[in-house]
Amino acid sequence: MNSSPQASPSGSDRGAASDIAEHARPTTAESIISLRGVRKTYFRGKEPIHVLQDLDLEVPVGGYEALMGPSGSGKSTLLNLIAGLDRPSAGSLLVAGADLGAMSDSQLARWRANTIGFIFQAYNLMPVLTAVENVELPLLLTKLSASERKRRAQTALRIVGLEDRMHHYPRQLSGGQEQRVAIARAIVNDPQVLVADEPTGDLDRQSADEILTLLERMNRELHKTIIMVTHDPAAAERAHITRRLNKGQLI
Amino acid sequence: MIPIAYNLRSLAVRRTTTLASVLGIGLVVFVLAGALMLSAGIKQTLGRSGKSDIAIVLRKGSDAEMASSIESPTLGLILSAPGVKKDASGSPLGIGELLIVATMDKIGVDGVSNVQIRGVPEQVGRFRKGLQIVDGRAAQPGTDEVIIGQRLRGRFKGLDLGQSFDLRKNRPAKVVGVFAYEGSSHESEIWADIDTVRQAFGRAGLFSSVRVQLSSPSQFDAFEAVIEGDKALGLDALREDRYYEKQSEGTSIFVTGLGVVIAVIFSIGAMIGAMITMYASIASRSREIGTLRALGFSRPAIMISFLLEALALALSGGLLGIALSLCLGTVRFSMMNFASWSEIVFSFSPTPGILLSALVFAGLMGLFGGLFPALRATRISPLSAMRD
Ligand SMILES: Nc1ncnc2c1ncn2[C@@H]1O[C@H](COP(=O)(O)OP(=O)(O)O)[C@@H](O)[C@H]1O
Ligand SMILES: [Mg+2]
Repeated sequence: MNSSPQASPSGSDRGAASDIAEHARPTTAESIISLRGVRKTYFRGKEPIHVLQDLDLEVPVGGYEALMGPSGSGKSTLLNLIAGLDRPSAGSLLVAGADLGAMSDSQLARWRANTIGFIFQAYNLMPVLTAVENVELPLLLTKLSASERKRRAQTALRIVGLEDRMHHYPRQLSGGQEQRVAIARAIVNDPQVLVADEPTGDLDRQSADEILTLLERMNRELHKTIIMVTHDPAAAERAHITRRLNKGQLI
Repeated sequence: MIPIAYNLRSLAVRRTTTLASVLGIGLVVFVLAGALMLSAGIKQTLGRSGKSDIAIVLRKGSDAEMASSIESPTLGLILSAPGVKKDASGSPLGIGELLIVATMDKIGVDGVSNVQIRGVPEQVGRFRKGLQIVDGRAAQPGTDEVIIGQRLRGRFKGLDLGQSFDLRKNRPAKVVGVFAYEGSSHESEIWADIDTVRQAFGRAGLFSSVRVQLSSPSQFDAFEAVIEGDKALGLDALREDRYYEKQSEGTSIFVTGLGVVIAVIFSIGAMIGAMITMYASIASRSREIGTLRALGFSRPAIMISFLLEALALALSGGLLGIALSLCLGTVRFSMMNFASWSEIVFSFSPTPGILLSALVFAGLMGLFGGLFPALRATRISPLSAMRD
């Protein structure tokens, strides 16, 4: 089956990110994401749909990888598995030291809260909460005091450049600003991994570029490992590596 | 914990459906609180009529004054029993009265209703110290003049100051005064001279009841022992407060029961309404809920959050219902007292206990109505965060 290329430590060099061959990394690099023989099969009635087939994947700590492929090729399914939103039908799935296949729903929920930052195509902010309240949400799962939560949420908003929009509701923000709030929410808990499913899919070119620059900073300055599903070649360009998925297999 | 602001603001955003549910629950709570307040009002009105240091003597086997008759000569015997308080001049404090029910024409609506007429002796004020003429004057003893309780005023034809009515056919009586009596059920009675009543209703030489003032509440047992000990007299002695309590039991249980039954039936409708509201609002928020799950909120956290939302919805309805029911405080309610088959006017009496139970009832409606929608919410997959 596909044995994925190993990432190089020089991966933060974004100039030549897209060529997999150029970015082969030494096998000694520490993987934060490790998939072995992962399968995902859905059933439509009695008929099985093999969405992912015997997938192997290693992502190094601090990697920034783009996932491309035609619609329906299983990109989101793979991302959901890595993020612990779903469980594999077969194979082993290690992310940030956790064996996700062996964990219960509630264990996965707790693990996600600590380990994964989510960035969605549709931003997924709570429309009735202000920017700072949205960013604070993941901190409500910690033991931090209210004032400490507020402080951290403000810091995260400052990082994405929206400190002055703290008390705005999502509907009072542009799409690009909403996505920046979502990024603030994704990093506020200081997770090791960010997963982004078409983060620029709903944005115009300029906003998309701002978001991509921000993601790049998250990777370079905050050392977040990022897995990003995208259709946009310009977005993939910014990642260290672009992986292509076709019919449930990495090519 | 998902912040409660999330739930409250979500309710506020869904203004119309939220309001509809709040109104539904408010109506139920209004009915329930109203019934409980009325029941308490009945107990209070009738309860105020009785005192523990007054004993009432009735014919043995009569549950109510109305059904009892005691011959005149017995009065002296009763007054000489032990435990009866004496006034400064040494004469025992007691009163024999005759209670009659008459039919009177109502004002405003077609129809008649029963009113109690109490025949009282000349020195009624010596015993009945709570009596207070609030309008007009006291009646002349030995005449057809009567005074009426203030709650009767203006509710029946001829029952107002200066007006006349027929005590019995061709036995006119004139209202010369209106009285208050410590808010008790006496305020729904007509008081006339006892001899006038005896003549008008052919009850010569009879009392319905004899009341005595005990020198202390503890004297009752001694008094009762003597009165009931003489089997030949065939009399029953009761403490007055206990007597009125028994009178009000049936009515107040009926009102409470009716109120609770209606409230429970209505509450099913209101609960289904709240349930539909919650189902719809959860269905339209499946992406939000999926996102919360993705962020790491557990199923129990989702459950609690939506139960709290349903609770907030129901408590708003509860507060509305309570506010409405408090407006009933000014309403007077006349109804049949089953024990006497006559009309007594009650008011709604809000007590902290009633308001609290009404609110608790609303809360329970919210929790039950919200239970299944909240369970549905917990089953929303975190993958819903990804779906369009
Ligand atoms: N819950 C599901 N049940 C059945 N089929 C599913 C489910 N989720 C995804 N699929 C199928 O799996 C395939 C891959 O989906 P997805 O991972 O969303 O693709 P992509 O993100 O690459 O467009 C599609 O054919 C889709 O219909
Ligand atoms: Mg997809």
